[in-house]
Amino acid sequence: MTLPLEGIRVADFTWVWAGPHCTLQLAHLGAEVIRVESASRTCVTRLLPPFADGQPGRNRSGYFNQYNQGKLSLALDLKRSEAVAVALDLVAQCDIVCENFAAGVMARMGLGYDVLRQQRPDLIMIALSGYGATGPESDFVSYGPAQVPLSGLSSLTGYVDWPPMHVGISYGDPNGGAHGAVAVLAALLHRDRTGEGQYIDLSQWETGIAVLGEGVLEQSAHGAQPPRSGNRDPHMAPHGVFRCAGEQRWVAIAVRDEAEWQRFAALLDASLCTDERFADLAARKANEDALEEIVGAWTRPQAAEAVVERLQAARIPASVSMNSKDIAEDPQLLASDFFVHHAHPEVGTRLHLGIPWTMSDTPCRVRRAAPCLGEHTDDVLSRIIGYDAKRIAALHEAGVLA
Amino acid sequence: MSRLALEGLRVIECGERVSAAYASKLLADLGAEVVKVESPEGDVARRRGPYPGGAVDPERSGLYLYLNTNKRGVVLDTHAAEGRAALHALARQADLLIHNVPPRDMAARGLAYEALAEVNPRLVLTSITPFGLGGPHNEREATDLTLWNAGGIAYLNGGGPDAEELPPLKPFGHQAEFQGGVNAAIASLGAVFARRRTQRGQHVVISIQQALAAILELTFEYWPYQGLIASRLGRKPIQPLDFLECKDGWVFICCVEEHQWHEFIRMIGEPEWAGIELFADRLSRGANWDALKIFLQEWASEQSVLDVYHAAQQRRIPFAPVSTMGDLLASEHLKARGFFATLDSGGAPLTVPGAPYRFSATPWSIRRPAPRLGQHTAEVLREIGIEA
Repeated sequence: MTLPLEGIRVADFTWVWAGPHCTLQLAHLGAEVIRVESASRTCVTRLLPPFADGQPGRNRSGYFNQYNQGKLSLALDLKRSEAVAVALDLVAQCDIVCENFAAGVMARMGLGYDVLRQQRPDLIMIALSGYGATGPESDFVSYGPAQVPLSGLSSLTGYVDWPPMHVGISYGDPNGGAHGAVAVLAALLHRDRTGEGQYIDLSQWETGIAVLGEGVLEQSAHGAQPPRSGNRDPHMAPHGVFRCAGEQRWVAIAVRDEAEWQRFAALLDASLCTDERFADLAARKANEDALEEIVGAWTRPQAAEAVVERLQAARIPASVSMNSKDIAEDPQLLASDFFVHHAHPEVGTRLHLGIPWTMSDTPCRVRRAAPCLGEHTDDVLSRIIGYDAKRIAALHEAGVLA
Repeated sequence: MSRLALEGLRVIECGERVSAAYASKLLADLGAEVVKVESPEGDVARRRGPYPGGAVDPERSGLYLYLNTNKRGVVLDTHAAEGRAALHALARQADLLIHNVPPRDMAARGLAYEALAEVNPRLVLTSITPFGLGGPHNEREATDLTLWNAGGIAYLNGGGPDAEELPPLKPFGHQAEFQGGVNAAIASLGAVFARRRTQRGQHVVISIQQALAAILELTFEYWPYQGLIASRLGRKPIQPLDFLECKDGWVFICCVEEHQWHEFIRMIGEPEWAGIELFADRLSRGANWDALKIFLQEWASEQSVLDVYHAAQQRRIPFAPVSTMGDLLASEHLKARGFFATLDSGGAPLTVPGAPYRFSATPWSIRRPAPRLGQHTAEVLREIGIEA
């Protein structure tokens, strides 16, 4: 069965999360993604926990193995000029090049766009960087977790009257990577129509701002940004996350309109339906502290799942605040075949998260576990680049393929 | 040579609020021809604001104006047979139909895939849904807040070791819907690309819950790899990686590599407390962060954010300002890149985020503003042979 990007090949020079998340989407769509890696500069995520069974190892990282599923690994020490020559030969066989080094790094290695497009005139190349390829701060050091405060999202996020907060994950990375995948696919369609490739400069800072447009708009329209408001919403009340029975069990509830409010109130206490304090949205917002106390008192003794069942039966939005175990055991995710179980040479079969879309005619699937470092070196050199056994042996001998 | 990457790609958009609108905005801003179908009441986003000048005006809602650049707009009542017939007539000429109508309402609104495929076998239908189209919970009600929690990200944030009673915390805005939108754009473009070979359309379904679970970073894998459940209540194992309040705002300090920490200590004049054994390496700084933070916060309260940011970056330490919206609009870097764009809201101009990426051959552009309600109904229907 054909895959959407079958026959498309990606030379993947990315590392950490943003770049690999971009190329992961291409792998999900069926492209052949070849990571160019080196033991002399091991990808950061290969060195971070969680490690399989707590035992460190560059092929044992859950983080790396999650975001590099479905890809191949070619070991190349790009500090060596012979390795750069191999990289150029690889690019000649590829449609797309992805990288997320700091601005200028690829060019200094002899792998800048001007050089690469001589290998492949219709090449599509995307550079994902923290600050972008141009501008007075383009040489600033960008670290994933710092992108969330840099983007403005932290300033807008936090409990009422509390300081700015983070969001729980290094959100700028997957957001940048996902936007990068959109850009690459658009460029592919353009190339398909015109034969023309191009270079794409993506700044993680800018993609981070794109998804908080309302904050910028508020500042532009009114000269002030929205105050931090916890889990509340200006147009819905109650709207929050409430404690349930047990250890750190919570339920998220959102009541969207008056009809839902009436159904919700009836479940808690009939007298609420006519309580003047909560008669309409404006009243509920004015008395939101009292409202949330009442809701919290109602949820507190109940199991979170039971609250969700009752509210969903009344067609009111509610969800358990899921932890990793909840996710792994969620009947909806299990029924949707969301999880991936591939055998990995070193860590065996581990549960991984799969593809967030389905396609009826060209079904996408994760085709293999993440690669061990250099696992496909010989295969890539012979099958894709076309080197003979002698040349491959010489490269191994010279220590270039490490 | 065409300067629009997605020239000729004909897209119809149905639905409310953010996810479908953002997906098709991503395509429209790169040159696709997008027709946005609204109900007679108009997209709910028209009632979210912000409104320049303050008065509620469905033609001047900032969120709506931002999400719907480059689109033409028609009004169709798809609760009525006539409206559904018009939608199908539009679909006959389209490449892609993106929507976020709830699963239980799809058939009644003319969005059943089988019916659309009969009208146009080459059509790609992209359904953005909370939980997918199968499974025991797929018809459950959902909002941005409940999905951020269903996807597992909220559980990782908020509260802390000394504030366990505070709830899991959502980020500002509509992040779940934006992620649904960007994933829908990826999968839709993939399906359009597939069609070159197959000559057939198909049904693409996005689950927002899955899109969020897919970005749990390194946290989810603690469960299958080490039998541990990631929690927001734990202390970070390494520091500094935290917020400090300066005299004029907040800064995010980030120096978890030893050489970065030592550069930072030199930067602030080698204070005595930096030599305390408790702070010797990043793990012990993590374990003793309560104590270390007091010293650092005292120092920071005398500093200005930009001074700290630039001084650190000069030393290759990856600090970042906790940017306010005002900071973003004033940023010399973003100005030099021409990042922000201006929209005419029928009065005062509105500043909005601009190009999320720069293409060398086919740049992002705003060619027309978001449509007024029903602005292009007659024109679009005439194109497909229907007199409005």
